[in-house]
Amino acid sequence: MNLADLEGQAREIVQRYEFPKAGMLPVLWLVQQNQGYVSLESETWVAGVLGVSPSQVHEAVSFYNMFHTQPVGQRELRVCTSLPCLLRGGKELLDRIEETLGIKPGETTADGAVTLTETECLCACEMAPMAQLDERFVGPLEGPTVDDVLRDARTAPGSPLTTPEPEPYICSDGPILSSRFGDPEGAWFEEFVAGDGYVAAHKVITSMTPEQVIEEVSKPSLRGLGGAGFPTGRKWSFVPKDTDKPKFLVVNADEGEPGTFKDRYIMERDPHNLLEGMIIAAYAIGCHKAYVYIRGEYFLSARRLQRAVDEAYEHGWLGKNIQGTGFELDVVIHRGAGAYICGEETALLTSLEGGKGFPKLKPPFPAIEGLFACPTIVNNVETLACVPFILREGADRFAGIGTERQGGTRLFCVSGHVVRPGVYEAPVSVTLRELIEDEQYAGGVRDGNKLKAVIPGGISAKVLTAEEIDVAMDFDSLMAAGTMAGSGGVIVMDETTSMVDALESASKFFADESCGQCSPCREGTGWVHRIMRRVIAGKGRLQDLDDLLAIADDMEGKTICVFADAAAWPVQSYIGKFRDEFEQYITSGHIANSVEAVHA
Amino acid sequence: MPKLTIDDREIEVAEGTMVIQAAEQLGVLVPRYCYHPGLSIAGNCRICLVDVENNPKLQIACNLPATEGMVVHTKNDRAEEGRRSVLEFLLANHPLDCPVCDQSGECDLQNFYMDFGLYSPRFHEQKVKKQKAVQLGQHVMLDQERCILCSRCVRFTDEITETGEFGIFNRGDSSELGIYPGSTLDNAYSANVVDICPVGALTEADFRFKARVWYLSSAPTVCNGCSRGCNIDMHFVLDRPHLNDGARMARVKPRYNAGVNEWWLCDEGRYGLGWLDHERADVVRGPAGDATWEEALTAISLQVGEGARVGVIASTQLTNEELFLIREVFQGARISANVPEQPGSSDDFLIMADKSPNMRGATLLGLAGPEAYDAGQILDEALAGDLDALWVFGHDLVDLFGEEKVRELPQRVGLLVFSGTNENSTASLAHWALPTAGYVEKDGTFVNCDGRVQRVGRVMPPYGRSQEDWRMLLKLAEMLGRPLDWAKPEEIFEALAAAEAPFAALSYEAIGKDGAAITPATPTPGAPAEAVAP
Repeated sequence: MNLADLEGQAREIVQRYEFPKAGMLPVLWLVQQNQGYVSLESETWVAGVLGVSPSQVHEAVSFYNMFHTQPVGQRELRVCTSLPCLLRGGKELLDRIEETLGIKPGETTADGAVTLTETECLCACEMAPMAQLDERFVGPLEGPTVDDVLRDARTAPGSPLTTPEPEPYICSDGPILSSRFGDPEGAWFEEFVAGDGYVAAHKVITSMTPEQVIEEVSKPSLRGLGGAGFPTGRKWSFVPKDTDKPKFLVVNADEGEPGTFKDRYIMERDPHNLLEGMIIAAYAIGCHKAYVYIRGEYFLSARRLQRAVDEAYEHGWLGKNIQGTGFELDVVIHRGAGAYICGEETALLTSLEGGKGFPKLKPPFPAIEGLFACPTIVNNVETLACVPFILREGADRFAGIGTERQGGTRLFCVSGHVVRPGVYEAPVSVTLRELIEDEQYAGGVRDGNKLKAVIPGGISAKVLTAEEIDVAMDFDSLMAAGTMAGSGGVIVMDETTSMVDALESASKFFADESCGQCSPCREGTGWVHRIMRRVIAGKGRLQDLDDLLAIADDMEGKTICVFADAAAWPVQSYIGKFRDEFEQYITSGHIANSVEAVHA
Repeated sequence: MPKLTIDDREIEVAEGTMVIQAAEQLGVLVPRYCYHPGLSIAGNCRICLVDVENNPKLQIACNLPATEGMVVHTKNDRAEEGRRSVLEFLLANHPLDCPVCDQSGECDLQNFYMDFGLYSPRFHEQKVKKQKAVQLGQHVMLDQERCILCSRCVRFTDEITETGEFGIFNRGDSSELGIYPGSTLDNAYSANVVDICPVGALTEADFRFKARVWYLSSAPTVCNGCSRGCNIDMHFVLDRPHLNDGARMARVKPRYNAGVNEWWLCDEGRYGLGWLDHERADVVRGPAGDATWEEALTAISLQVGEGARVGVIASTQLTNEELFLIREVFQGARISANVPEQPGSSDDFLIMADKSPNMRGATLLGLAGPEAYDAGQILDEALAGDLDALWVFGHDLVDLFGEEKVRELPQRVGLLVFSGTNENSTASLAHWALPTAGYVEKDGTFVNCDGRVQRVGRVMPPYGRSQEDWRMLLKLAEMLGRPLDWAKPEEIFEALAAAEAPFAALSYEAIGKDGAAITPATPTPGAPAEAVAP
């Protein structure tokens, strides 16, 4: 299709936003879907549509890694090599795929059938090692399934796939978040309202004041489950009441923390629960426009949530006059395009505004000056999904489930070397040992192996040793243990794990995903990764370990956002807790599996 | 009005002042790369970290509003240690190009490394490779490897020129500065990005490899490219003819003036001064060939004295002092600085259509503007044989009125004198051609379009055998038997100020380096009162 033919659709997209530039990512997606890639000619055209300089479009296209600047194959196979996949054979998988296709990542087969891409965490670690074939997640890619995928990869786009659908273990124990996860096709409107769906929202908009809602949410200490753990009610209370500016609710569905895959379950299997939470939040802060920023790789999540949004409009739960109360809320689904940093709330806002995902200087904080310089609340998907329960069942019941300073349950994502990787809903007071070992959760370390290390809250969290897992999973307990609850992504490593490889993988992730705005992070993440690559190549020096620690220390606390700190913590904790293994690796002068290295 | 303490000294500053500015008011320069007072705050370089008491983290001074009771340390161990680490990161991938980098000697990476870096490098990896020596436009070269991604240039083209050429592409340590592929950096202010680049990433194409900056001298002056009178520093080299292709003037940099050009300068002005070193008039030429100044002025004085009908086509390139002297020396003569020049290009920022640096001064002195004679009228009188002598200051009459009209002039007038800085066709026609100093080779004042009187300053001595117009005029007055009691431009200005009401309150001291308004301060009709919005 010619660019000119896309004009109408592009204009329609731009209409959804307060400022035309915010249409950047959706219009670029439109171009890529129609042309296969984004050419320089297309960039200039997009600049015209959005009224920005071509340089700004070029910045965006080059920043987000899902946009292609050159023609690619008819299908794209994106293979994840982030730590959770690596632990389950991601590297061997990529090797096998490279060998079979005869191409390296970044290349396209000679017949133009398939482009191979190596990608950072796709947040489907429960099906590791996994990949994404065009829009679909496939995994675990072991044995014959790899052949299936490689066969599918060579078929024409649109033809049915023979690779079996992933069948991870599904927890639907509830009581707060997972009760409706059982249906792989999702819980749609009829089913949702047949239970207790929209009961809380109805109660809120017909019988409560915004202040009462905020109070009710504050009581049981609901804390931000994206990772920061900030009290949700308090955050809502920061929105100024006496402002003429519009207010925005932005849902952070840019799930990207390696080892985390919970928000995807909510969006795919219980999307109305999220919408109900959004309606309540919007009512509490006096907002009439909400955006859901979904990471670009989550095609299915975006489709399912969009279907739920359409249903909600149809049944009067979104739009001008919700349930005849006069309350008004519009929801726009906005897709990212491949940048982990956009999960940082201010980077998410910059990205939503059409820029590169650069975190913003604070102050001002988003509650005062956020999206389009208007008061904005950014909440994580899981956080909002907890809200209907609190308003429906009461703050006391929610509080009773968790700890004093953090109420409720969380969806813990357990990946790596466990018997049964998956999402598990558990009270936040559950211990790390229980999550790993209990039959109702991950069922223990695989193959009867010994546990070596656990990352309790996504790749940014400091690692714990096997001796340190008798710790509750709430924010405060994990902080006291010197690490963090983060996003709830539990990455389990058994005795076969090389911590050197693990750090190389983590450092690659941070180097790939640093936005590049602040110098300590931009240069530091790359520096750390270069050293780790050299160490892995057998050219390490013992001095490198002290240098790595010093670089990590120097990166901490000096940047606009905490990405640099997050990049420093794995370095500090892996080397700090497994220094002997690192030294052994360096002095033995060969690339050895750590089991041999450690037990030599 | 919060009061805070910086490095043990108290200061009260206006609400909303950032700590980096408050420190500056105390004379404390907090290192900076991305911060620029004329641009929005980016906060990305992190070099301005300061230690704020009761704050666990170091804070960037550029985005830290001063608050009551705040205690800030800019030089304690913690702050310097923090900045040292930031500097090490900035230099990690920075190439060791200093021996061949034009920025060397005025590079803030070098300067701050000497101030508080001085560490032994720990970076042993392969540096990131990017593009070097990219010509972005006529005036600007880019070296992506040297760039520290402070985004000053990006903000300049986004916020000041609003042309949006620059971008920072990719991410992480692959981030690179550039302009849109296939485009050219050709806005009217392009070279300002070189000035604001704190490192050697953006350098001037014109100045490339011409001279090491430590061989350059600098003096403040104003641009004569249009009636705006942007303040500039002229960098020059007098004692090393092997440098800079033998030219004295090496480059021009804008000089901050809040009331005129702030930090900026247009390319037209910046690169419009080549005439200073090219095709300069260097000999006094009379009817019988080369002569001395003494011979020339003696001969001329005999023909322009008492009773002679004299016409003078003066110039708005001359200083107020010189225009005043012309009036004094040629009393009773027809004098005009009104020449039929086409208005040039202009914009709503700095560039004015009127390309004369001193139209306003000439008008105030009655030599230009609607009240004054017209140069064409004087020329016609000369051609009609109604004048005994015609003196042309700088102009090329051939250019202005056409060769056909001017061809007969030497035959129609008894004495045709041309005085000017550069050779031109009128100089060739004249009975006497006198080489005079360029405006930066002498002291004096211009009045800009907003009525601001500004010192031109004397940057360098007159070229070759050229002489300042004022010196020549004073000597002529002496030879005419009407010596004037002034020895230098400052004294001439005092006399001018005593004679002309708009200048009454002014002296060189009052004008200072920022200029001062005439009385009453009235802008040129139709022109904005201030060059730049505050």
